[in-house]
Amino acid sequence: MTFAVSRALGAAFALLVVSVLTFSLTSLAPGDPAEELLRRGGIQPTQASVAALRAELGLDRPAAVQYLGWLHGVLRGDFGRSYADGTPVAAQILSRVPATLRLAGAGFLIAVALAVPMAVRAQIRPHTALGRITRALTSAIAAVPPYVVGILLVSVLAVELRILPTGGDATADGVILPGLTLGVATAAPLMRLLRSELAAVDGSPFMALARAKGLTVRRAIVLHALPAAAPGAISAAGVALIELVGGAVVVETLFNWPGVGQLAVTAVRQRDIPMVQGYVLFAAMATLLVLVLADVCVALVDPRLRDKSR
Amino acid sequence: MSSFASAGRSGTPWWRRCAIPLVAGLIGLLSACAGGSGDSAQARSGQLTLAAPRDLFAGPDDPYFTHQALQVWEPLVTLDAELKPSPALATTWKRSADGRVWTFQLRGGVRFSDGSPLTAEAVVVNIERFRRIAPKQSPFFSLDAGMESAYGRLKEVRADGGAVVFELADPVADLPARLANFFSMIQAPSAFDAAGRFAGKPVGTGPYMLVSSSKGQRVELIANPHYWGKRPALGKVVVRTIPDANARVAALRAGEVDALIDKGALLTGQVGAVAADRRFRVTRTPSVLTHYLTFNSSRGPFADPRLREAVDLTIDRTMIAKRLLAGTATPGASFLSPVFGDLADPNVRTPYDPERARRLVSEVGRPSRPITILISSAEAGQFPYTDIAEVLRSALDQAGLPARVSAVEATKTTMESGDYDIFLSAYSVPNGDADYLFRRFLRSDAEWNRQRGLGYDSEEFDRLIDRAAVSTDTTERRDLYRKVQRLLATDRPMIPVAYQDNPVVASNALTGLTQDACYLVDLAKIAPAS
Repeated sequence: MTFAVSRALGAAFALLVVSVLTFSLTSLAPGDPAEELLRRGGIQPTQASVAALRAELGLDRPAAVQYLGWLHGVLRGDFGRSYADGTPVAAQILSRVPATLRLAGAGFLIAVALAVPMAVRAQIRPHTALGRITRALTSAIAAVPPYVVGILLVSVLAVELRILPTGGDATADGVILPGLTLGVATAAPLMRLLRSELAAVDGSPFMALARAKGLTVRRAIVLHALPAAAPGAISAAGVALIELVGGAVVVETLFNWPGVGQLAVTAVRQRDIPMVQGYVLFAAMATLLVLVLADVCVALVDPRLRDKSR
Repeated sequence: MSSFASAGRSGTPWWRRCAIPLVAGLIGLLSACAGGSGDSAQARSGQLTLAAPRDLFAGPDDPYFTHQALQVWEPLVTLDAELKPSPALATTWKRSADGRVWTFQLRGGVRFSDGSPLTAEAVVVNIERFRRIAPKQSPFFSLDAGMESAYGRLKEVRADGGAVVFELADPVADLPARLANFFSMIQAPSAFDAAGRFAGKPVGTGPYMLVSSSKGQRVELIANPHYWGKRPALGKVVVRTIPDANARVAALRAGEVDALIDKGALLTGQVGAVAADRRFRVTRTPSVLTHYLTFNSSRGPFADPRLREAVDLTIDRTMIAKRLLAGTATPGASFLSPVFGDLADPNVRTPYDPERARRLVSEVGRPSRPITILISSAEAGQFPYTDIAEVLRSALDQAGLPARVSAVEATKTTMESGDYDIFLSAYSVPNGDADYLFRRFLRSDAEWNRQRGLGYDSEEFDRLIDRAAVSTDTTERRDLYRKVQRLLATDRPMIPVAYQDNPVVASNALTGLTQDACYLVDLAKIAPAS
């Protein structure tokens, strides 16, 4: 219990720090959001209407007052309204969460489906040609930025062959290309993490025992090393999931995916400060949630941690 | 050894057993999806699918609900190819002798999409709503500065025997131009609630009606059965929002959209490749956007007019328009671009003479510190400003004016602190209202001029634009504006570099994609190619 409480308190503190940082960064950023907003149609606004909008948005108050007002709202579940169109920030973010989750989920499944077999395979027979090729390939893919992979996938599968849509979530198959882009990008680091976990476990005495009692290398690794590597793997998967949410910003823009990341990019472009703050806080909460969940899962599967927490 | 042998007992390794169904499944999935996309416009039976870089839908809190380009609503007055007011819902207008009363006659037999008739009373409701809700921001045209120029002198608007009468406090020479497009949007009074918000969907008189919309993603339109004009050839229109320029072109090349429209549909860097593809036709039309150099003449080297002239002479405008802007622009000369029709002075020339520039610089003497060329990083994402600024830098360098380029996020702050000498930026005049540009940027009391250190203070300029603004004689007005441009061509507070076109592109399966200087595409005229 104390474990959960201390984690929750730590998370709350981290969120507070994140919110202060975001707020100061966005309000320190040069430029007047009120003027930018009024200029969007291409007309230079009058000083009077800039002043009126500043007052309406509360930008004329001291930064600390603005922050406290915002924090007070957040604690009541009110994330403020978008400068760009006056709609509630929380509603806009929440309406886009399902799309991002669908994309991150697809990416995660693809990453796990690629990384686990490859890592196991590499551990069983590290010195075969296939193992070397796999290692070289994962390093190569890890070195290529996801948007390059994405552009390649789009030009071949969507533009030339026309078997998949270039983006958007209007059809069910729209998730395949962005999911693949995200999944491939995440598979490489995930595989390397898993492999080092497996290698560490493989050297332990119980693995020698497993082999001594006559198990094949494959069975020993799948039945004994994999479960033993699970806590590390779960932490790695948690980190991978967080990277997916970050990577989704790029991939969502590239594939016109109507998720939270695309919303954030537009908000940054338009200097929609409440939206940017909402996004950062949301992303921070999602990250912490994943980390806490991963910790809880690790505690569940790892008997040593379970004993400690009692 | 025996343990290794047992690994092969089942014949195939486990990963191969998994891999085959996995690959087979993927192939099946891919082939199942094939054929679902990539059809041409005709195959989609009467549906037109377009993509735009921004959302053309804003929602019920917006003054307009949708962009004019969606043709859900129509204005009283629109603009022709020369930015001159032309009839839309108002067919004719006349001005009283003193210029204080304007009477607009409405088009007969026009109905809103709910079937109710367009009346002078309905128009009055719209104008009064505008005045009530202003100032109000909008992603299209905020109801402030433009509103002020349209309705700033309005005393009363009333319906009078089927006509709409505007009574003004002071004479306005070009009221129809100032009202054009957004500022005279007309919708059925039933579309608004008491506070001037939209009660439900927009109810306009245009060829299309809004069916559904999903913010930031897509808008669906169908033909309006009550439309007064010719029924559009394509009964259904889908406009997708695709902010990323590469994603937009990919969607076009994949056949998912039939055309790319709106401001910035194609980046200058993309035009060449798309135009070379035989499946598409790129249409370039002049736009209201002009690239200018603004001088900080309030202090520093450019307080001396000879150095401003030197910069003017070092700019190779033809090269910038042809190469750097990839032929999407034409070299700038007069302050008003040719889209202003006869208001633009055809006799203003901007010679390229680096030799004379060098002589001018040596006459004045080399400045003590390098010139700062300021660009906005946001604009540099839209136009090749980094390249243009770099070319400018090296030209200035050769003329004896060492310079550096500075790209910043917030140009306003930088300019107000005086930390620039030349600012490269694009400006547009959305309503073809020449007065707006002069009054808001260059008049001696203009906020832009004063706060950003332009230091332009010309009594003659102020006098000329003030006279032009109230002049009711079109010839006199034209001559005054031409005089203003000749004055600016020698005073040089701001100099035009290039007049920007806005390229749009459509599949060859379509005909009739046209665009006006304000980026408005006439959706109703687009038809499948026969």
